[in-house]
Amino acid sequence: MKSSRRQATKPSGVVALQRAGGRGSPVPFLLPALLIVFAVLIFPILFSFVVSLFDWPLSAGGGERSFVGLGNYSELFRDPGFWNSLLLQLGFIFIAIPLELVLGLGAALLLNREFRGGRVIRALMLLPVFFLPVVSGMTWRFMLQPRYGALNNLLVNIGLPEITWLANAGTAYAAIIMQDIWRMWPFVFMLLYAGLAGIPTELLEAAEIDGANFSKRLFKIILPLLYPTILTALLLRIIDALRIFSEVYVMTEGGPGMATTLFSLYTHRIAFGHMKVGLSSAMAIFLLIISIVFAITLVRKNMSLEQLEERGGGQ
Amino acid sequence: MKSKISVFLIVLLLAMSMTVFANGDKETAAPAADAAPAAAQPGPARTINVLLWDDPYPKALQAMLPEFTAATGITVNIEMLQPPQVLTKTAVAVTATSTDYDVVGIDEGNVPVFASLLEPFNNWPAGKFYPKTDPNSVTPKMYSIGTWNGVQLGIPINGNLYVWMTRKDLIENPQYKQQFKAKYGYDLGIPKTFQELLDMGTFFHTNGIASGFGPFNGGPAGVLSEAVFMWESFGTKFIDYVDGTFKVVLNEDRAVEGIEFYKKLMAISPAGAETMAHVERQAAFAADPKGVFSMFIWPAQIAAYENPDTSMVAGKIAYSAPPAGPRGQAAVTGAWALAIPSASKNKDAAAEFIYWWSSKSVADRLVQANTIPARTESLTNPAFTASKPQLPALAASMQVAASRPRFKEIGQVQDVVKNYWIKGITGAMPTRDAIRAIVKETNEILQKAGY
Repeated sequence: MKSSRRQATKPSGVVALQRAGGRGSPVPFLLPALLIVFAVLIFPILFSFVVSLFDWPLSAGGGERSFVGLGNYSELFRDPGFWNSLLLQLGFIFIAIPLELVLGLGAALLLNREFRGGRVIRALMLLPVFFLPVVSGMTWRFMLQPRYGALNNLLVNIGLPEITWLANAGTAYAAIIMQDIWRMWPFVFMLLYAGLAGIPTELLEAAEIDGANFSKRLFKIILPLLYPTILTALLLRIIDALRIFSEVYVMTEGGPGMATTLFSLYTHRIAFGHMKVGLSSAMAIFLLIISIVFAITLVRKNMSLEQLEERGGGQ
Repeated sequence: MKSKISVFLIVLLLAMSMTVFANGDKETAAPAADAAPAAAQPGPARTINVLLWDDPYPKALQAMLPEFTAATGITVNIEMLQPPQVLTKTAVAVTATSTDYDVVGIDEGNVPVFASLLEPFNNWPAGKFYPKTDPNSVTPKMYSIGTWNGVQLGIPINGNLYVWMTRKDLIENPQYKQQFKAKYGYDLGIPKTFQELLDMGTFFHTNGIASGFGPFNGGPAGVLSEAVFMWESFGTKFIDYVDGTFKVVLNEDRAVEGIEFYKKLMAISPAGAETMAHVERQAAFAADPKGVFSMFIWPAQIAAYENPDTSMVAGKIAYSAPPAGPRGQAAVTGAWALAIPSASKNKDAAAEFIYWWSSKSVADRLVQANTIPARTESLTNPAFTASKPQLPALAASMQVAASRPRFKEIGQVQDVVKNYWIKGITGAMPTRDAIRAIVKETNEILQKAGY
């Protein structure tokens, strides 16, 4: 199986051309598609990289810019605001996403069975994902207000004190994480539910007949088989969470003080508040590198799992 | 082979983008001035694009546009955005060589930022339908906001500066008046000093009648307004133009006093005051049955507070100049100027639109729509002041107008002030340390900018 796959992929276009009776290189056929891909996907990134090498004050109207090499990167690393926003961003990811995974997995396990109204419930659970991020941010901003906010009304009605969620650095940070979890955990649920549905029921039934309790079935069968899906969900969520902007901008505008100025908010502020496009492009490139590191790590992990599976299958 | 092609394409595109981008220094020649037809009849149909901030003032103007189009043949496409987005959009859409807009509204603090991209007022063509705006028609305290480095770049179009609002129904309540006088020994009324504001605010707050004060802590520009308001009232400027350069001149002790007093006002403010932006302030003052006793308002927003459909306090507001601090009285300005980008190809039509907007006839009607043009004679017209109580208050505020610092790097300074001001007023940082950090980091920004 392994060899046939290699034969099909290794010489790729050449083999296909030869089989079709053609001659020569496949490059001319690929070139138009490659050019479009480069123009649409790669060029903006390269352009952004080039901009990051210039001092470009946006207030000068695009006219004045000077080459500074890696000067913007050097300035970035000396800026406490940059490190503050990076720390807040990473904290956001490492708190929100594990919680989304736990909630998503829990709900997927719970709803991975047929029962009356199950389809409706599963569909309704996805609603927050379809909420516009801006609307979600605004809704949460109002829900968390003292006096007329729904959440504080609830707290007061059950005898607890009001919390000024968005006025305190700690609770404001917690609030933007809560908002993200509320909006995005159903997305994780959706992926994991699909993954669960793909696990052969015979395996689980056999384990049950052999006396494996739920915990054993979960840790010995379900999670190992779900692992590639979990990694995919993790990758998608990390990439998405690294770019989070509008919800937080609407909810807190990065405040109080700089307490919720996540990486993308700070990048925006540098570009349009400080008018330093070169510096903000350097931040964008830095974010891209972080995303690529996360992506490569998780994709490699996923691929190594597939290789393990292949080896297991060959034996 | 494929990887070689990929590398080649990346290098090629990198070189292309570098070449394209590095050519940015080239300036193109300014478009030639348009020829001027003699007759003042509607010309051929033309369209200009205008970028404005979103509030009741430009909205009131929008209703009058058909009249302008009928008179001139110029159609006006107005795009209104929230103030921060106006800045963003202007930064992207207006360059030295091209512009998406023929007229842009520029917040006074950003006039220096875009100065190099704007056509000086002296170069604006004479109007064919409306006379060129007379700078003397603009309220003097507002006039300077459209200038930078001594050059007039825009026409100040609204008289926006701190005006104080006090709940008339509260200060005229006989029971409250009696209780207050018994406790504090003087009459309840519109607070004229900070101490009166604190006394009266505390009275209403501690008796559970209303919150005593409504601070403004939304966004970097808003926080800088409050800081300047307090510091000027306590007798110190923040940044001044001294010996041909910008210098931090903040007196540490007075600045600390200002923050400490603000903390006292925060203690009688609604919950969540640390992040109150306009939307929360309006909700607290105009839509909360408990409400707020006294706070400042940008006059541009008065229409929303006086709208009985949306406000519980419509007709119940007394207007005045801000209360005086121990060493001064300050009404912070937040006005907008109308400017024409140098790259506009419709300068004559753009100028015509601005001349129309700033004319007496339009200004008078805008005053009647509860908005605040910058034109002095409309603001002080006795025919209007009788029915618009905010107008005398506005005139009084203008006597003590104070501007926020203005220079290109102001965005960075706003961030510094926002960060440490919030830490100072919330007790997250000792106030003196917060002031020292503001001074230190602002000095660093100024030095780096070459001031």
